[in-house]
Amino acid sequence: MSQTLSASTLLAVPLAPLAGSLLAGLFGTAFGGNWIGRRASHSLTILGVLAAFLISASTLYSVAVDGARFNQTIYTWMVVGGLKMEVGFLIDSLTAMMMCVVTFVSLMVHIYTIGYMEEDDGYNRFFSYISLFTFSMLMLVMSNNMLQLFFGWEAVGLVSYLLIGFWFNKPSAIFANMKAFLVNRVGDFGFILGIGLIAAYTGTFNYGEVFAKKQELGALLFPGTDWLLITVACICLFIGAMGKSAQFPLHTWLPDSMEGPTPISALIHAATMVTAGIFLVARMSPLFEMSDAALNFVLVIGAITALFMGFLGIIQNDIKRVIAYSTLSQLGYMTVALGVSAYSVAVFHLMTHAFFKALLFLGAGSVIIGMHHNQDIRWMGGLRKYMPITWITSLLGSLALIGTPLFSGFYSKENIIEAARFSQLPGAGFAHFAVLAGVFVTAFYSFRMYFLVFHGKERYDQNPDTHEDTQEEPDPHHHHGDHSKPHESPWVVTVPLVLLAIPSVVIGFMYIQPMLFGDFFKDVIFVDAVKHPAMAQLAQAFHGPVAMAVHGLQTVPFWLAVAGVAASYYMYIVNPALPAAIKRAFQPIYTLLENKYYMDWINEKIIAAGTRCLGVVLWKAGDQGVIDGAIVNGSWKLVARISAVVRRVQSGFLYHYALFMILGVFALMTYFVWLNK
Amino acid sequence: MIDNISWLAIYPEIVLLIMACVIAVVDLGVSSSRRTGTYVLTMLTLAVVAAMQAMYASSGNTFYGWNNMVVSDTMGNWLKCFATVSLMVTLVYGRPYAADRDMLRGGELFTLTMLALLGVCVLISANNFLVIYLGLELLTLSSYALVALRRDHTTATEAAMKYFVLGAMASGFLLYGLSMVYGATGSLDIGQVFKAINGGQIRHQVLVFGVVFIVAGLAFKFGAVPFHMWIPDVYQGAPTVVTLIIGSAPKFAAFGMAMRLLVDGLLPLAIDWQQMLAVLAIGSLLVGNIAGVLQTNLKRMLAYSTISHMGFLFLGLLSGVVNGTVDANAAEAAYSSAMFYIVTYVLTVLPAFGLILLLARDGFESEEISDLAGLNQRSPLYAGVMAVCMFSLAGIPPLVGFYAKLSVLQALVASGHGLHVALAVFAVIMSLIGAFYYLRVVKVMYFDAPLTAGAVLAPFDARVVLTLNGALVLILGLVPGGLMALCADAIVRALAT
Amino acid sequence: MGLLSLAIWTPIIFGVLLLTFGCDRHARAVRWLALIGALIGLVATIPLISGFDTGTAAMQFVEKMPWVARFNMHYHLGVDGISMWFVPLTAFITVIVVIASWESITERVYQYMAAFLILSGLMIGVFSALDGMLFYVFFEATLIPMYLIIGMWGGPNKIYAAFKFFLYTLLGSLLTLIAFIYLYNQAGGSFDIAAWHRMPLGGTAQTLVFFALFAAFAVKVPMWPVHTWLPDVHVEAPTGGSAVLAAIMLKLGAYGFLRFSLPIAPDAAHEWAWLMITLSLVAVIYVGLVAIVQKDMKKLVAYSSVAHMGFVTLGFFIFNDLGVSGGLAQMIAHGFVSGAMFLCIGVLYDRVHSRQIADYGGVVNTMPKFAAFALLFSMANCGLPATAGFVGEWMVIIASVRFNFWIGLGAAVAVILGASYSLWMYKRVYLGPVTNDNVRAMTDINAREFLVLGVLAIAVLYMGIYPKPFTDVMDVSVAELLKHVAQSKLN
Repeated sequence: MSQTLSASTLLAVPLAPLAGSLLAGLFGTAFGGNWIGRRASHSLTILGVLAAFLISASTLYSVAVDGARFNQTIYTWMVVGGLKMEVGFLIDSLTAMMMCVVTFVSLMVHIYTIGYMEEDDGYNRFFSYISLFTFSMLMLVMSNNMLQLFFGWEAVGLVSYLLIGFWFNKPSAIFANMKAFLVNRVGDFGFILGIGLIAAYTGTFNYGEVFAKKQELGALLFPGTDWLLITVACICLFIGAMGKSAQFPLHTWLPDSMEGPTPISALIHAATMVTAGIFLVARMSPLFEMSDAALNFVLVIGAITALFMGFLGIIQNDIKRVIAYSTLSQLGYMTVALGVSAYSVAVFHLMTHAFFKALLFLGAGSVIIGMHHNQDIRWMGGLRKYMPITWITSLLGSLALIGTPLFSGFYSKENIIEAARFSQLPGAGFAHFAVLAGVFVTAFYSFRMYFLVFHGKERYDQNPDTHEDTQEEPDPHHHHGDHSKPHESPWVVTVPLVLLAIPSVVIGFMYIQPMLFGDFFKDVIFVDAVKHPAMAQLAQAFHGPVAMAVHGLQTVPFWLAVAGVAASYYMYIVNPALPAAIKRAFQPIYTLLENKYYMDWINEKIIAAGTRCLGVVLWKAGDQGVIDGAIVNGSWKLVARISAVVRRVQSGFLYHYALFMILGVFALMTYFVWLNK
Repeated sequence: MIDNISWLAIYPEIVLLIMACVIAVVDLGVSSSRRTGTYVLTMLTLAVVAAMQAMYASSGNTFYGWNNMVVSDTMGNWLKCFATVSLMVTLVYGRPYAADRDMLRGGELFTLTMLALLGVCVLISANNFLVIYLGLELLTLSSYALVALRRDHTTATEAAMKYFVLGAMASGFLLYGLSMVYGATGSLDIGQVFKAINGGQIRHQVLVFGVVFIVAGLAFKFGAVPFHMWIPDVYQGAPTVVTLIIGSAPKFAAFGMAMRLLVDGLLPLAIDWQQMLAVLAIGSLLVGNIAGVLQTNLKRMLAYSTISHMGFLFLGLLSGVVNGTVDANAAEAAYSSAMFYIVTYVLTVLPAFGLILLLARDGFESEEISDLAGLNQRSPLYAGVMAVCMFSLAGIPPLVGFYAKLSVLQALVASGHGLHVALAVFAVIMSLIGAFYYLRVVKVMYFDAPLTAGAVLAPFDARVVLTLNGALVLILGLVPGGLMALCADAIVRALAT
Repeated sequence: MGLLSLAIWTPIIFGVLLLTFGCDRHARAVRWLALIGALIGLVATIPLISGFDTGTAAMQFVEKMPWVARFNMHYHLGVDGISMWFVPLTAFITVIVVIASWESITERVYQYMAAFLILSGLMIGVFSALDGMLFYVFFEATLIPMYLIIGMWGGPNKIYAAFKFFLYTLLGSLLTLIAFIYLYNQAGGSFDIAAWHRMPLGGTAQTLVFFALFAAFAVKVPMWPVHTWLPDVHVEAPTGGSAVLAAIMLKLGAYGFLRFSLPIAPDAAHEWAWLMITLSLVAVIYVGLVAIVQKDMKKLVAYSSVAHMGFVTLGFFIFNDLGVSGGLAQMIAHGFVSGAMFLCIGVLYDRVHSRQIADYGGVVNTMPKFAAFALLFSMANCGLPATAGFVGEWMVIIASVRFNFWIGLGAAVAVILGASYSLWMYKRVYLGPVTNDNVRAMTDINAREFLVLGVLAIAVLYMGIYPKPFTDVMDVSVAELLKHVAQSKLN
């Protein structure tokens, strides 16, 4: 494989999936008249993504091993008044790692889709979309400037919109995708302002050039205030990240996005797109490092998300929504890591999370297939013996998620918790508590789901509302009747599970040394060790992965996790009546959780409704009432009225006319002869 | 002392006079109800006269005759020429209409028209108060007769009566004004009057007293508020052909008269009469544009449009002298803009009435705006011509009416007088209101469904002339330079003497 | 005859030629002749692009000959970086409209096509006129064909719309006429725009002139609060009319600001920039909110046009090159996008004969191809990157943040509002299950419609992915303009 990076090969990384997407999209669908069939479509797109993955892998290799770097412009988008806007690639360890994660998960999802979407009419369209997503995501991570970053940012948003609304006949789906896009737009609103501020004061969009100017940037004050300019800019940027990475309060779109087919929940709404915000902040670490205020903001937001979104996971019954909330809470963990300047830890957790969360989602998808598209975990149970591969891989995924020592999740999460402990930011205390409590919560809901799905008595034939569940997908063939037994999924589904299970288990163990404490991220992620010593202290505490795992057994988080698992085991296997009792006991809290803290209610009933109401008022009162009614048409009515009067003067009587003439002369005379001397 | 020059000065008028009598006699011999013979003869005469006047005009000489009673100059001859041509066009449009209504019997239409034209010519070439009055009476008396031509037609006779009484009053005003000035200056000769007033010995107040009446008389002829009352009734009441006769050529006469009296004679009193004109202009713009909005009768609407346009024309006339000092350029700009305005106005109004004449059929006056409904489907060409006229009257480029407004506004603004600029703004806002009723005509023709299907039938000559006439409105709109230059040149020469 | 004259007169001559048909007996021939005329006009503009020298701010392809000697008017044409792109854009949109109206217009075809061809010639004239009065003549003359188009082929309430359009815009331009005459006299009897740029002008004079010009241009743009004619007109106008109106006519006003207001009255422009910026922001936010709640698709797009034009004026009056170029880019992009949006509505209207959003739903089920195009254009309308709609919006937002963060914040609200109205409409019209039999009966776009939308789609994407050719043309001229505007005329 190539040891040096050339623009053309790198260009192939995003373009290969794009090509696949265009072919499948233009010629594989009704748009171009279905020229090419299903087989051709999935082969083309998979080929594209495979190519992208291989090149990415080789790139990562040359970046990691020979320390290769690449940073140049592909083409100039425009130059206006000296302000250059370009499209170009910056390849360093962070990018290379992201490229590999994206392309690998994407590849797995492509293969998995062959099985999952088998019976769907939109088969080719779906492949076209996910390849397009891969292209967009790659453009996002490979960018060397903020313009292209924003392009990728919006492009992934678009594809997410398309995929959530993939089943466009499902009202819930098309509501969810619009919601997702609009909430993300709120984030972009901040994001574009942040970019604008930075560009305004550095005169460039290019990362390198911006970071080079960070000192004078850090010295500036925000006009008209005594805030640091950099603080405002970073918070604006982070608002963008909050949108994409579904941080509180812009998180509401992610659970709804589960309306989309499961493969994209895995790819977009767990592994890659939602981590774009984390990636962004890590990328911008040199800037964030200069503003404690911004970091603190990040930290608090992250902590809130990590804990409170976890709670919501406990009461969900839709298998996908459980995982969705766990994703939210894990994103919160990453954000906390960012907030305490442990960027590399955040990115590390991003990577491990990408694998085990994609695994969990695809596992869930496999379960959904097996259950004939019933997603309600209350009506599953005992699937262990019907779906062995799915079961074992899901178990591994869950163990990784809750941070069992030696599993990948352990290494990343443990470090986040430690980093939060070491941090001296004002919000750190709360954050540390939040992430600790989060461990228990995570363990509880993960294994609640695990037990309900794979263990206990089989309840799949007692589902009262299967018919509604089959509504989940308009496709009739999926409805095999309620009583046919669950079955293991085809190999195209299980192979990806296995392939994802492997990294979910081992990758943390393998790479924690170089990625967190080695110089893998040297000169990519910048930490001001003086102001933010957390990372350094972690490094001191670290004595190799094994030692860490051993030490892990005696730490609080581990026992919290164990407690979580035990609790869920007791409540859902030993004494299934208990949860209902607790629910009765803590009705108010339960209701609060049921309504997701009323966030959706606020969005829809107050913000959205308020906006529409305001619009109506401005339209009816402002435009139609005042401007049109009073001024425009009013003036014409006035003219008409005067006209009517003038007409009456034209009476048709001769003597009136004569009188007017005489009066006229008289008036002229009085004025000009006597008054106007 | 009567020399050849004197005769030369009035050749066209003599020809007109003789031929008018000849035609009156000849017509006795013509029996066809369409009076083709008389018609042809008349047209020939008018053509010859027009040609002579054009020749005189283009020669560029100015000469006085009959002991300075009459003057033959470029401006006058062009005005006369245009008047003649406009009457020719009028007759072309009007003959079928008149024939259908049996108005040609006895051929008075032709004779009276020629006499009216004679009056116009005399008026325009007058250089003496008496001649002015002579021409005016000749013109107005024949007009009264023309309006009453359908003696069995009540509205027409009523209109004639109003026209006569009010017209008499107006002539009275004028005569009184003239005599005041005569009394003050001791001369009827316009040149002498000018000198006398310029001398500055005469009591200003007396003169202004006269000027007020003169302006009133003029205003009546133009149809400016508050001396406009006759216009809507007469325009509507008179047979359309006659409406067109009194709506076209006499405008030139009025303009000529204004130039002779106010500019040649009373220029030293400009301050006063300009203010008077300003007052009249404001009134005319207001009434003409606002009252027109609700009219449903096309002729009446056009009557109000006349009023408003005369208001605009006054704006041109009143910007000649800026705060007391006569500036050649300003004067030239002002009066030539006014002349251009009157010429283009008549040019545009001819096809408008022409169309009404052509649409009218036996026993059906097509004078309601609604009668034009869906004309575009029935006959796109006529609709096009009418639309061009309407947009031109509204002053939308690239039609000649726009340049008329432009040059007047330019004259106003160029004077740099704050009040004048204010007047300009007022004028354009008024013309915006006016635009409404012109647009409504277009709307009726193009947007409404036709009430009667079937194309409009019209004699060949009328059709051709109408088309050319409409085309001219557009072409002059694209290249107005020539006509502007002509007017400018005429005015320059007129002011030079 | 120069290139510009060719671009102006070819369509006009073809238009007049069509008028001579006088009836619909040869509708086929008429359509083809119109198409040929439009195409020739378009081809005539290609040398403008290829031969344009991006290195200079001077006028290019200049033609000058005396026109009206008395007022020293000249037939004086030429384009610079500011105006160049609008010439081919106009010709392009004309071709599109001719094709788009191929079947939907069945009566008085010859007059319809003629009106559009003549209109196109006149609008090109506006963009290339270098003589004030010539500009004004073209500017005003466009009212006549548009008035007829709205009134003759418009919807139920067409009369009101036609009059509103004509009188609303006429009011503005009459005041401008006075301003032009004043400038003519100030310049010692010259309508030469360049002379007007150069000549000194007093403070009050500048303010008066500025607002007199504002009257015409603001109405045309249209800026809030003189925008209310646009929704009514759009709703009533036939598809082609709406497309041309939104794509080109609105730009006449914005162009006027750059060509006249800024350089002629720079001090007034600076003094009143705050007002212009406020009005622009109101347009962006207020009108954006109004757009969200529209029930009529055309009204919605019309209001979104006002909001987008708000970006244009905002860009102009923050006086930096990114902003001004952004405004221009937004004008071009909006030409493509809004044109496309209205044509899409036309496609729906031709099938169901309703513009009410409520009458649709689930169109994607019956018209997948069309829905794909519609999605692209909706996304472009809310400024998604890699579409034309993004370019100008991005430039203006960045520029205004640079100018003043809070103004930038106001402008950026459009990022949310734009998405809201575009996507909500898309959701209600295209997505979801089929709602009624009309929709069920719809047939997907035919080859002709595919061609039209396809060409526009390519244009939209091209400009979004590679806007450099567009901005390169502007760069020097804009810089020159700003240099000129920066120096005061008071002394």
